[in-house]
Amino acid sequence: MTAATSLIVLLVVLGSSIAVAAGMGLVGLILNQAYSPMPLTRMLGELTWSTTSNFILTAIPFYIMFGEILLRSGIAERMYNALVQWLSWLPGGLMHSNIGSCALFGSVSGSSVATAATIGVVAIGEIEKHKYNERLFLGTLAAGGTLGILIPPSINMIIYGVMTDTSVPKLYLAGFVPGFILTLLFSLTVLIACVWRPRWGGERIKTSWEERWRTLPDLLPPLALLMIVVGAIFFGLATATESAAVGILGALAITAWRRRLSLAMLREVCEGTARTTAMVVAILVGAFFLNVVIQTIGLTQQLSRLINAYQLTPSQVLTAVIILYLVLGTFMEELSMMISTIPITTPLILQAGYDPVWFGILLVLLIQTAMVTPPFGINIFVIHGIRGRGTLADVERGAAPFVVALLIMIGLICAFPDIAMWLPRLVG
Amino acid sequence: MKRLQEIANGVARGGAIVGGALLLLAAVTICIDIFLRYAFSLTVGGADDLSGYALAIAAAWGFSVALLSRSHIRIDTLYIRLPRRARATLDLASLAALALFFALVTWHAWGVLSLSYASGSRSMSALEMPLVIPQTVWVIGLAFFVAVALLLLARALPAYARGDLDTLFQAIGSKSAVAEAKEEIIAVERAIDSRKE
Repeated sequence: MTAATSLIVLLVVLGSSIAVAAGMGLVGLILNQAYSPMPLTRMLGELTWSTTSNFILTAIPFYIMFGEILLRSGIAERMYNALVQWLSWLPGGLMHSNIGSCALFGSVSGSSVATAATIGVVAIGEIEKHKYNERLFLGTLAAGGTLGILIPPSINMIIYGVMTDTSVPKLYLAGFVPGFILTLLFSLTVLIACVWRPRWGGERIKTSWEERWRTLPDLLPPLALLMIVVGAIFFGLATATESAAVGILGALAITAWRRRLSLAMLREVCEGTARTTAMVVAILVGAFFLNVVIQTIGLTQQLSRLINAYQLTPSQVLTAVIILYLVLGTFMEELSMMISTIPITTPLILQAGYDPVWFGILLVLLIQTAMVTPPFGINIFVIHGIRGRGTLADVERGAAPFVVALLIMIGLICAFPDIAMWLPRLVG
Repeated sequence: MKRLQEIANGVARGGAIVGGALLLLAAVTICIDIFLRYAFSLTVGGADDLSGYALAIAAAWGFSVALLSRSHIRIDTLYIRLPRRARATLDLASLAALALFFALVTWHAWGVLSLSYASGSRSMSALEMPLVIPQTVWVIGLAFFVAVALLLLARALPAYARGDLDTLFQAIGSKSAVAEAKEEIIAVERAIDSRKE
């Protein structure tokens, strides 16, 4: 019964708003005291040093820094305005540009919150100008923002990769097609809604081919960065960390070209990067320790014995895990949810015979769903904050159709694992 | 006491900026490394080690900045529904837990440092940097974090006893997700405004 007790203790400690990093660490200490034959605390120093100086993990601060620079580079507004020219002829108009910009910006930035915030600030003024259905418009921003962690590069995939010993480049390859399909599904959701209720789609925005060609160069810098950062990994020219480092230099070059580079800007970038990195690393330190304790006291073996005892089939295990995440995702902060559960769920899923790369993608999709489901959906808070009026419920309702799209995507990837797996297999 | 916190704030921010700058430096080094590799088939090596050290140092120093700006992640779904007194108690418990766990981490990190010193360990790569150098900066960062946590506890406990909960929330309260989201937005807006000037 150790497994059940530990899980309950963990949920109670984290649920009582103890800082997640310390909560996981302390649960590790308690379990160690109660069940382990040897004091594992002695490993804390070596464990902290070896995990925080891990070369693969350096990709995380690099992508955070990359995003911080992009935010200040002027890429987002220009890209948005260019996409408006190219996509607003569809029923639903600007809402497709919202999703498209989120996909493009999210693909280079690696963080969902930053994506939703950046595109949200640029787009939100357009609701009244063009008489859109406000809820649906807000929904496109909250949901579109989540694409940032599915389309590579993605910080969440690096964390998953390091914690489960899965190849990060393979995860990136696997995320590409589902990311593309999900973007289309989001757009399709808008399309269906606006064909059903044409008034939701707002006024037609004037576009011309001349304008389109003129704004095309604004799309090129983010596209070029995406090609370099992701392409280098695809073709095995560079590791995830190396390509992130190249991305930083590229983003700095664009910033300098747009004349936004200054010492003050660099100082802000450095401080912001260190703070966000620290938040992630603090949780990882606690989680890695907990992970070692869990493995030493044989918790996962115990869980798998339990599964054997009840003769659960692989698909039953998978269903249970999916439901667990959908439930946890409604009230838990997404990053902590992912990090605190990976040591328990991943071994179970692998034992049931599923592929770790495939499960990584499924997990990201589940986290995306958690980001837009109330009462705790970080992207909903971000978009609500940008709007600055109305109720949270407006954004929640607006995001609801996209939650359906996400669930369809989760269903698709379970029914046809090849959606994720064919690209990594192709490259090999 | 307040003065002490201001000083701590300044030191923490300075440490974080240096940590971030180290990361930037590591990124540049890696790019040079890649360039040399493809242009001249030269492998210099050492860039991986450097970036690993930069991460460890930036994270250790970033812990304090995150603590002072109340950014360490807490799950506050239940918290925000509790009365003020209960929330204040949980804030204290959370801070004490952080101080306790990271005091342990720091203690054992010190052990790692002394071992590196005693055995004269060097990095694995061509760089052969004595591990003592990055590990010293790292341990100081961790110790500083524990000190900041204790300082905040020393500020918050009397406030808790006095019943001055506003001061306590200001120093160590959980920043709600909504407030967190607002800060992200302010950062974006500021970035856009500075461009318009």
